[in-house]
Amino acid sequence: MPTELVLISTLFTGLMLGVIFSLVAAGVTIIYGSIWMPNAANGQFFLLAALALWSAAVSWGLHPVVAALLVIGASVPASLLLEQMLIRRFYDVPNRNVSYFVLSLGITQILAGLFSVTYGVWSDQFQIPPLMAGITFLGPFPVSNSRLAALVTGVALLAALFALLRYHKYGRAIRAVFQNRDAASLRGVNVRAIYRLSFVLGNLVVAAGGVLYAFAYSFDLSVSWSMSITAFAIMIIGGPGSVVGAVAVGMVFGFTQAIVSAFASPTVATFSYLGAMLLILLMKPSGLFAR
Amino acid sequence: MTDALRKHGRGLLVFAVAAYALPLLLAGNRYFAFIGGIALLHVVWTAGMSLLYGYAGLMPLMFAGIAGISAYAAVGLMAAGFAFWTALPVAALFAALVGVGLGLPALRLKGFYFTLCSLVIQTVITLAFVYFVNLTNGDTGISQIAPPAWFGGPLQGVGFDLVLATLAVGAMVALVLIVEAPFGRRLVAVREDDELAEMLGIDVVRQKLAAFFVGSLFAAVGGAFYAPYVGFVSPRSFDVLLSLNIWLMVAFGGRGTIWGAVVGTVLLAPLPFLLQDYYKVKDVIYGLLIIGVIVLLPGGILGGLGSRAAAGTGTQSPGLRRKEAA
Repeated sequence: MPTELVLISTLFTGLMLGVIFSLVAAGVTIIYGSIWMPNAANGQFFLLAALALWSAAVSWGLHPVVAALLVIGASVPASLLLEQMLIRRFYDVPNRNVSYFVLSLGITQILAGLFSVTYGVWSDQFQIPPLMAGITFLGPFPVSNSRLAALVTGVALLAALFALLRYHKYGRAIRAVFQNRDAASLRGVNVRAIYRLSFVLGNLVVAAGGVLYAFAYSFDLSVSWSMSITAFAIMIIGGPGSVVGAVAVGMVFGFTQAIVSAFASPTVATFSYLGAMLLILLMKPSGLFAR
Repeated sequence: MTDALRKHGRGLLVFAVAAYALPLLLAGNRYFAFIGGIALLHVVWTAGMSLLYGYAGLMPLMFAGIAGISAYAAVGLMAAGFAFWTALPVAALFAALVGVGLGLPALRLKGFYFTLCSLVIQTVITLAFVYFVNLTNGDTGISQIAPPAWFGGPLQGVGFDLVLATLAVGAMVALVLIVEAPFGRRLVAVREDDELAEMLGIDVVRQKLAAFFVGSLFAAVGGAFYAPYVGFVSPRSFDVLLSLNIWLMVAFGGRGTIWGAVVGTVLLAPLPFLLQDYYKVKDVIYGLLIIGVIVLLPGGILGGLGSRAAAGTGTQSPGLRRKEAA
């Protein structure tokens, strides 16, 4: 039954891409919602995690799981360092989102330049050794266990993120800052500490997205820019600062990409994202899931 | 008008002398003369960006896209048999109108949302350059663009450099006249606080729209000259990095000052050529400069805004900030 095969394969790809898009967009929106930093470098951070995983797993020969944990763990001190050096200088600046946007475009350019003289020279295409061997059949459709594991991990991470934001006291403090930083501060929330925490958490989620993507697909350096644009489009459509919006729209984008790629070129998918983003910007700049 | 020219007369005179002397001094070495010509071309672009970013407070990341539309249009018209001097005004006007058409809805947005919207539009334009292969020859680009005709012969070498010098001087005179006119002062009012400007009876969107048309015209004229001067255009010639670099030249020199854009251009435009051997490091250096300007030099070298610019900001009104915080 080829139609059934196409259907299941499209569904699976949509789910896989949707989970990754949701993770990255959630990370971007957490950072924008708290410190108003529209991080255009999110695609480069995503790629950095994927490339670091490749280095750890292929060049150093670490076990893929160890390498993944190492990369995701290393994003924390890296984020803290960046926060210390650059990000915190703007916490009290009015209209800082424009400054942050330009700053992140600068970071994008630096990382893109560094990648092209290092990884770009070493290889065209990057592939991570599988997490585990074997294949599972979803009906007639064969899926490598490795990709299945990436999907399950991604869903678990999204669930954990929701639980953290909903029930844990830090998550509740983050959401309080999203809603009204002055009131949160009056209620005893240390707003600056929450800014720092959100920056670390957001980048951690983006890095996790990059790691999962690297396990699921082979990739090249061009993935960064399309990821940046996609994550921005998801954030704007879902409503900046809304994690629910990021996940809902992220899933829609994942399925859209899977369906469009099955019938037309990926450029068409990109055109449609950008078109949707422009429409939302013009009609309802606060997004669909505005809080 | 005469007041404006008197106020900036000395500066314009010095700039004109320098602009015309540059090609003549460098005439011995074609490579350096070419770099000088590219810098003069960039003065046209930074003059337009200075008007938009420095005075109107807009950060249009689709600037390069508009220049690219004009360049492709000029090349297309020349290929269809028109002379460059006919193609130039048509292509420039067409690109500026397309720019306004694309920017029209975005101009209602403020600050970051406008900038993001312009980034999306730039990305769409770049994708379109790649996608419509029969018009643009896709990623390969169009090479061997013929030089314009000039008094019977082809315009090239020092002659073309001097034409570009004239263009750069003309762009600066135009910038001075616009900025010192009541229109320029209205733009500054809009930049500083658009709600207050609205209350004073200024039609904010209309001022922005007019500024955007004029700024796009600068971009488009530069783009139309770029094509025959360099002799090659591709989607990468007019990608978002060019917009960012032109912005950087204005911000680095000093936003909201007449001569800051020129200082920034003179310092930064030749950089990619001088770094030819380290070509790939260019991106890293530009990135570091962008961060340096934002963090350390928010007013630029000439520091035009002085104490008023706290830290590389000011494209939004306090009113919007209040609304956003609410």
